[in-house]
Amino acid sequence: MQIETFQFGTVHFNEENILKFKSGLFGFEELKNFLLIKPDDDNIFYWLYSVEKPGIGFPLIGLNVIYENYPAEEKSAAFGIVTMNQDPLKVTVNSKAPVYINQDDRTGFQKIVEDEKYIVHYSLFVE
Amino acid sequence: MLILARKNGEEIIIDSKIIVKIISASDGHVKIGITAPEEIEILRGEIYFKVKENTLKASEESRRKLQNVSKLKFNKFKE
Repeated sequence: MQIETFQFGTVHFNEENILKFKSGLFGFEELKNFLLIKPDDDNIFYWLYSVEKPGIGFPLIGLNVIYENYPAEEKSAAFGIVTMNQDPLKVTVNSKAPVYINQDDRTGFQKIVEDEKYIVHYSLFVE
Repeated sequence: MLILARKNGEEIIIDSKIIVKIISASDGHVKIGITAPEEIEILRGEIYFKVKENTLKASEESRRKLQNVSKLKFNKFKE
């Protein structure tokens, strides 16, 4: 199988690479199957691509990069969806609605965390 | 939209499994208690819509390249 991505061109994958999101993502509830691409030297972000809808993809960053003790979910890593901007100081990460990914059983889900220190538009970079 | 009038302490039952109880209502503030099965996600409307909007925006902006980032640091959260 393969998908076309803006950032990496054609990406080939197998059925077992697919991450299942039972409830999709907020705003994309209908999308259930995603691919996660890990960062390389040129890329500090993980990328989450929809398998079902070409062109839908998000940069993600591990929330442990920002927070020392981000709320954990069993066997899952917590990622924040990154909103790009021409001005890097305006790039934000959503720490209010983390995407949890379990690489062992190939599942993921997004939830909203109550604590007020987590916000939708957290500035990712400082000078 | 179904609109129901309720008094303090009265309840609404949805689909025989979700109970919405009016705990108190006065001065434009309503306190609501909700009992629902664990798999039912309950969210404040304004947060849900803000997150949804952010996810849509993140997808739209995902083709922008990160530039001039080499001199910047991650904005680590401090308590």
